[in-house]
Amino acid sequence: MAPTYHEEPELMKLPRATEMDVTMIGLQNAGKTSLLRVLSGGEFAIDSIPTVGFNMKRLQRGHVTLKCWDLGGQPRFRPMWERYCRNVNAIVFIVDIADVDVLPMAREELHSLMSQPSLDGIPLLVLGNKSDLPNKLTVDELIDAMDLKNIAHREVSCYGISAKEETNLEAVLQWLMKFANSKK
Amino acid sequence: MSYGKKDEDADTGLVKIDRTQVFQEARLFNTSPIQPRRCRILLTKIGLLLYTGEKFPSTEATTLFFGISKLFQNKDASLRQMVHLIIKELASSAEDIIMVTSTIMKDTGGSTDAIYRPNAIRALCRIIDATTVQSIERVLKTAIVDKNPTVSSAALVSSYHLLPIAREVVKRWQSETQEAAASTKSSGGFSLGFSSSSANLPVNNSTMTQYHAIGLLYQMRMHDRMALVKMVQQFGAAGAMKNPAAIVMLVRLAAQLAEEDAQLRRPMMQLLDGWLRHKSEMVNFEAAKAICDMRDVTDAEVSQAVHVLQLFLTSPRAVTKFAALRILHNIASFKPHVVNVCNPDIELLISNSNRSIATFAITTLLKTGNEASVDRLMKQISGFMSEITDEFKITIVEAIRTLCLKFPSKQAGMLQFLSGVLRDEGGYEFKRAVVESMFDLIKFVPESKEEALAHLCEFIEDCEFTKLAVRILHLLGVEGPKTSQPTKYIRYIYNRVVLENAIVRAAAVTALAKFGVGQKDPEVKRSVDVLLTRCLDDVDDEVRDRAALNLSLMHEEDELATRFVKNDSMFSLPYFEHQLVMYVTSDDKSVFDDSFDVSKIPIVTREQADAEDRTKKLTATTPSLKPPKTGPTKAAPSAADAAASATATAQKQAQELLAIPELKEFGAVLKSSPVVELTEAETEYVVSVVKHIFKEHIVLQYEVKNTLPDTVLENVSVVATPSDEEELQEMFIIQAEKLSTDEPGKIYVAFQKVNGEGSLPICTFSNVLKFTSKEIDPTSGEPEETGYDDEYEVSEFDLSGADYVVPAFASNFAHIWEQVGAQGEEAEETLQLSGMKSIADATEQLAKALSLQPLEGTDVPVNQTTHTLKLLGKTVGGGRVVASVRMAYSSKTGVTTKITVRSEEEGVAALVIGSVA
Ligand SMILES: Nc1nc2c(ncn2[C@@H]2O[C@H](COP(=O)(O)OP(=O)(O)OP(=O)(O)O)[C@@H](O)[C@H]2O)c(=O)[nH]1
Ligand SMILES: [Mg+2]
Repeated sequence: MAPTYHEEPELMKLPRATEMDVTMIGLQNAGKTSLLRVLSGGEFAIDSIPTVGFNMKRLQRGHVTLKCWDLGGQPRFRPMWERYCRNVNAIVFIVDIADVDVLPMAREELHSLMSQPSLDGIPLLVLGNKSDLPNKLTVDELIDAMDLKNIAHREVSCYGISAKEETNLEAVLQWLMKFANSKK
Repeated sequence: MSYGKKDEDADTGLVKIDRTQVFQEARLFNTSPIQPRRCRILLTKIGLLLYTGEKFPSTEATTLFFGISKLFQNKDASLRQMVHLIIKELASSAEDIIMVTSTIMKDTGGSTDAIYRPNAIRALCRIIDATTVQSIERVLKTAIVDKNPTVSSAALVSSYHLLPIAREVVKRWQSETQEAAASTKSSGGFSLGFSSSSANLPVNNSTMTQYHAIGLLYQMRMHDRMALVKMVQQFGAAGAMKNPAAIVMLVRLAAQLAEEDAQLRRPMMQLLDGWLRHKSEMVNFEAAKAICDMRDVTDAEVSQAVHVLQLFLTSPRAVTKFAALRILHNIASFKPHVVNVCNPDIELLISNSNRSIATFAITTLLKTGNEASVDRLMKQISGFMSEITDEFKITIVEAIRTLCLKFPSKQAGMLQFLSGVLRDEGGYEFKRAVVESMFDLIKFVPESKEEALAHLCEFIEDCEFTKLAVRILHLLGVEGPKTSQPTKYIRYIYNRVVLENAIVRAAAVTALAKFGVGQKDPEVKRSVDVLLTRCLDDVDDEVRDRAALNLSLMHEEDELATRFVKNDSMFSLPYFEHQLVMYVTSDDKSVFDDSFDVSKIPIVTREQADAEDRTKKLTATTPSLKPPKTGPTKAAPSAADAAASATATAQKQAQELLAIPELKEFGAVLKSSPVVELTEAETEYVVSVVKHIFKEHIVLQYEVKNTLPDTVLENVSVVATPSDEEELQEMFIIQAEKLSTDEPGKIYVAFQKVNGEGSLPICTFSNVLKFTSKEIDPTSGEPEETGYDDEYEVSEFDLSGADYVVPAFASNFAHIWEQVGAQGEEAEETLQLSGMKSIADATEQLAKALSLQPLEGTDVPVNQTTHTLKLLGKTVGGGRVVASVRMAYSSKTGVTTKITVRSEEEGVAALVIGSVA
């Protein structure tokens, strides 16, 4: 190749900037797109439209750039989750904790994804979203409902959050940042 | 940012791009961090592969696509642009392409002026499917009216591409499209345009958006004529459109509207006339072309266009001259007298150094000039025939070919020219054109026959094209024996047997045999015998077989052998072809249970075939010659097609008749009339009739279409009452059992000729439709139990003399005129045809109404004020009918004609005249 690139050599870059990949998945209507919008400083929108395919945003936290891949949760997009989870620093699985009816489906999708050898060892964060609503599950109930104890070969955590009220979001970022330099 | 300049080995690198290698390299897309420049180069390579026809298999394309989708994490605008471009190209081969919808939708956003916005829009409409179009509706609507023309154009063109999958959705964007068409955008007040950053959209002063908007608007309104009219008038107003390409679209639309609706002809013609004076040449040419292509265009209407084109002839630019000349050349094919005002200007171009211009100049003059100028022009052409391409040579040869038929008296000069160019260098197509022209001369201009045959004999002595040699040999076989010195040809033919390849030898043997079979001169017969006997030793099977077959035929009785070898009848080829196509393309598998039945194909005599052939030749076959669209009622694209299809329909009907058991005993149909409409097209019941003449019977075939929704007609019959019941006696009616809405059905009424086979009954039929009408029960979809009986009267029609004659062809009119005159009888009539607008009009109408064949090129009037039409036909009984029609035209009284008809059979002349009087 001709020596004309402007990219800087790898060495000079290290101390200043780190990029990490995070993939956000979960059934439709769980609040993935809403969460990402709020995390990047946007307004919470009640009329968020379903994601067709994926949606990509970069979040800046100090010298770390989180490249967040927010995937559509409708059934037709689920087969593609695995592709976008390969080699990422962390996977975030979002669940609507005010909608118990869909929990079995969420559990099934999560477990089937986690059984993929290509995703071995990638840390998983399960977020129970919409904690602002009444009749929601507690974190312990969610851990049971999602059968998280049976997910092996990785670090797993579970938080309750609300994208709408911006509850507990700082903890999410803190957790993610732990893996900034854990490139596989 | 043009790396093409910096990257010196890029060129050589690009050439040896290999698909598998590129696919390997694509891992680059998954590495972090993204390297925009390297990725762009790789994307460019993929693009190059795709654009040069390489196809990635679906799995590879899908893998590439997912890799590329990872590039959306990088914000580099040029990379993003490339990503859109390649995703658009992969959309058809990769799976799951829908994944990037949300992301690309964001890139189309109106807030930025990012360089990739148009690319994003174009990619978006390629990845979308019918179910998701709705979700991009808002995005596209906004983009269509975007202030930047590049964005707006991208959205318009994308909408166009969405039509096939989502016409209804796209149609909702009419007001936006209308706005885009009306806006005369320029990016003048668009100060961002001065920004030097390449990440922003460049300034775009193009008015191309209007063109795209007009194109889309047309698609949206295609089925709404009033909306189209409004569109032409609104945007066609002076100054409403800046873009010439957009106006060209309007020109075409205006022309189409004028063709479709007679009411619109005047206003549309006015618009076209205005466009002749538009400041853009492109628009002028298009308008001129549209006017000249208009059906039934009058001399007055064309003359303005001709005037404008004439001015272009003196343009300094060759391309302008050429374009003008080419249109004039077309007009000259059917209105030579209108173009001949340009002759002085065209004359100046015949020696133009641009040979394309010179060629068209000469061929145009050949059409517009009089007989006297032909020789001079031919000489001029001969001067540069060797300098032009085969394509233009063919144009010239075709022009001369029509000329031969038009001015038979010039045949000697033309034949000389043709034989001259036949000796020139040239490819197969060119040689074929020359040979075909000579064939026509032989067929239609008898005076040239012997000389033309001689030239062809000479040509096959040294002919590199087997196909042509075979055809010429066949012709020599057909024509040679009829000439004064058959032996001359035998020598030429036999030389081929000695010197040529097996295919030509076989053809030569067959041709030779035609001289031997039925030969009265024992000398000639013996020499053919000797020659054929020698062929029995040929190394090729086919040649030997043919020789053996023909030798034994020569020793058969003449009558049998002649029928076998010199049979002049042949299958009606257009019908044969049609039937074959229908057979092989049938959807119904059971059709193939039986093999194709060739016995159902009608056989025509060579005379009939020639007559049809000649009509076609004068009107359509030549590529450089565009036939005028004449005839007020027929919408057929060309006279030749119409003729061919008319014959085919008639023959098809004849076949249908054969299939009806009740009609079997009537024998063969002698003549079927054209379809006669008995109602308007918009009535409740649409009825038409075809008259079939049999030897002793007449069958009326009614076609009835019930257009009433939710009703069915049962037991439909027609009461057909002849005005003269003494000559025709009704035998039976074959009813149509059931006519559902819009499904036409047929009813047959058969009559016997009371006075036997020789009689030609003439009368008027009144017709009443009788049927039981039943409503369809909307719940069950079945007709109700009881209906009511009803009658419906339709127009009357005549059975006239013309129904008993068929056109026939012969080459020498004067001779037949005298012959028939000597034995038969004559009738005469003078008519005032005030409805006819021109001699040409009257010529065509009369030939059709009399059902006779124009001879000696008189179907193309040369003079616009007086003309003599020479016609020939035969009655169903076989007697000849000749007519001479003298016409004079004046703008006040229309066309005055004196028709003289002579017939061999008694009473026929008066009957035939009766069909127009
Ligand atoms: N009350 C409440 N509603 C929320 C919250 N987060 C999201 N929503 C609502 O949930 C709905 C779905 O949100 P999205 O962010 O579009 O869901 P998604 O997971 O991206 O859905 P897909 O793109 O189809 O997979 C929207 O109406 C949001 O307003 C939350 O924390 N509280
Ligand atoms: Mg979403």
